[in-house]
Amino acid sequence: MKLVDAFLKYFTYLLMAFTYLPIAVVIVFSFNSSRTSLTFQGFTLDNYINLISDTRVWIAWYNSVWIAIVVMVISLICGFLMAYAVVRYSFRGKDIIDIFALIPIIIPEIVEALTLLLTFVMLKIPLSPLTIIIGHLVWDIGYVYVVLKSALAMYKKEYEEAAWTMGADELQTFTKVTIPILMPSILSAGLIAFLMSYDDFIKTYFTKPAGFEILPVYIFTQAARRGYSLTLNALASLVTIVALIFAYIRIKLMGGE
Amino acid sequence: MVYAVEVENITKRFGSVVAVKNVSFKVKENEFFSLLGPSGSGKTTTLRVIAGLEKPDEGRVKLRGKDVTNVPTHKRNIGMVFQHLALFPHLNVYENIAFGLRMRKYPEDEIKRKVKEILEMVELPGFENRRINQLSGGQQQRVALARALVYEPDVVLLDEPLGALDLKIRQHMMVELKKLQRKVGITFIYVTHDQSEAMVMSDRIAVINNGEIQQIDTPYNIYMRPANRFVAKFIGEAINFIEGEYRAGGYLDTDLGQLKVPVRDELDGKKVTYAIRPEKFKIGEAADPNFENKLAGIVSLAMFRGSFIEYRVKLTNGQEVIVFEPYLSPAQKIYQAGDQVVISWHRDAGVLLEF
Repeated sequence: MKLVDAFLKYFTYLLMAFTYLPIAVVIVFSFNSSRTSLTFQGFTLDNYINLISDTRVWIAWYNSVWIAIVVMVISLICGFLMAYAVVRYSFRGKDIIDIFALIPIIIPEIVEALTLLLTFVMLKIPLSPLTIIIGHLVWDIGYVYVVLKSALAMYKKEYEEAAWTMGADELQTFTKVTIPILMPSILSAGLIAFLMSYDDFIKTYFTKPAGFEILPVYIFTQAARRGYSLTLNALASLVTIVALIFAYIRIKLMGGE
Repeated sequence: MVYAVEVENITKRFGSVVAVKNVSFKVKENEFFSLLGPSGSGKTTTLRVIAGLEKPDEGRVKLRGKDVTNVPTHKRNIGMVFQHLALFPHLNVYENIAFGLRMRKYPEDEIKRKVKEILEMVELPGFENRRINQLSGGQQQRVALARALVYEPDVVLLDEPLGALDLKIRQHMMVELKKLQRKVGITFIYVTHDQSEAMVMSDRIAVINNGEIQQIDTPYNIYMRPANRFVAKFIGEAINFIEGEYRAGGYLDTDLGQLKVPVRDELDGKKVTYAIRPEKFKIGEAADPNFENKLAGIVSLAMFRGSFIEYRVKLTNGQEVIVFEPYLSPAQKIYQAGDQVVISWHRDAGVLLEF
């Protein structure tokens, strides 16, 4: 038994190392002063300086962020209302909603990207940031719905009833009791929605208008055209660090539960 | 007379299940009124109808004489303590208690004063800034009470609030709750399945079963003069039933012979149950000459319960009766299983119940 215990323990460490080694390499090499070789030749911040002096990066980043924020806000509102309706009211077809909310998450993204593009073409909707947002929403609303539905299912109706007995009407109960108590879950769902939009490449690539770039698309085109560059290392490091910060915030939020 | 709460012919159905059947009662101002019944008896539903959290299918609810049947919960001036308390986890003690005052648009300095006052009343002075999860079960209980009392509602509705507490704290809280109710002078309606809670605290108890009121009376009368077999069995630790046919003049023909019972000649010739509490029997080697009734039996079980001894005595017809004998001195004889004994009792110590 001892042997198995030890094996499992080290196996876990190994697995973690395997997962994080590529990310660590990318971050370390983003400080590499060599331009041509893949050996570490000395510390430098040149890659970062090159990166931030490139306005295309800034525009792509700006596009990524504002689209992610819009997607987050809309999917939070829609996902919350859907979850609230399903948990609180009984109506026909309620059971099927769970399945339908999950289908966009399950089907391969490339298929979804294609169907989105075909739909836009068929309906003669010109590609624009709006089509990107619609594409992200199809997916994110389902995620937010699933997270908030489980939070709402745990949320006791007694809290609302208590507020009513003390003289709060429906709206006051909603804003002063329901929303604040659910806030950790709402923030957590919001972060997931933000990150899913911020990270997305495939759907965005299919639904974006020509010349419009978001960060993942920029990285892809740079890598495809110019090949390996340490500037991309720097960019990938920054993107990763931002994602890790968001993940950390989310863990902290859920830790309070 | 204006009652604090009037419930008139309330019926509430959930699908095909009738949870509350034609329930009526009136609660006086400043009364501590309990709804007592087993789980699923409809007591909580009745309370929720008074709160406006359930809409009755039939009947009316009045608060201080005003018909509120169609008034939404937040416009009824009530306070409620929930089974799981439902204290708001995102607010501290002060904000939890201030909630009802804020809804009533009290100015901030008055809120501060009132919260301070009520916290002193429930013996939690200085707890304003505590978080709810930093409080013990008993302290949370007090905050939930304070929250429901602070804006002086017409009635406070309590839904088994002591259920989650340990026995010792529960017993302590019962007395505290009763004292608090006297002090604040607010009408309480208390739902419980625990008869000792209802007996200790209530001015009057409504015993409810299968959605129907069985009896409404003082704890004394509920215990001493139960209206039917359900109430007799549900209240008190135990009760003995002897069945027979009533004869004019206060006699009961049973398969144990003729017993002397309270005189109720309107029951002449009817089959009735004679219900006697275990502590009403006297147990001994011979019958007590002061008592009209005596029956011989054999002790089948003797249990030392501390303040009393519990016996099971098998009578000549095979029926087993429960006898509690107070344990007054170590010199007192404790009978053992197999001992021949005689139990005797006063005819008025028991009560006649119709089937």
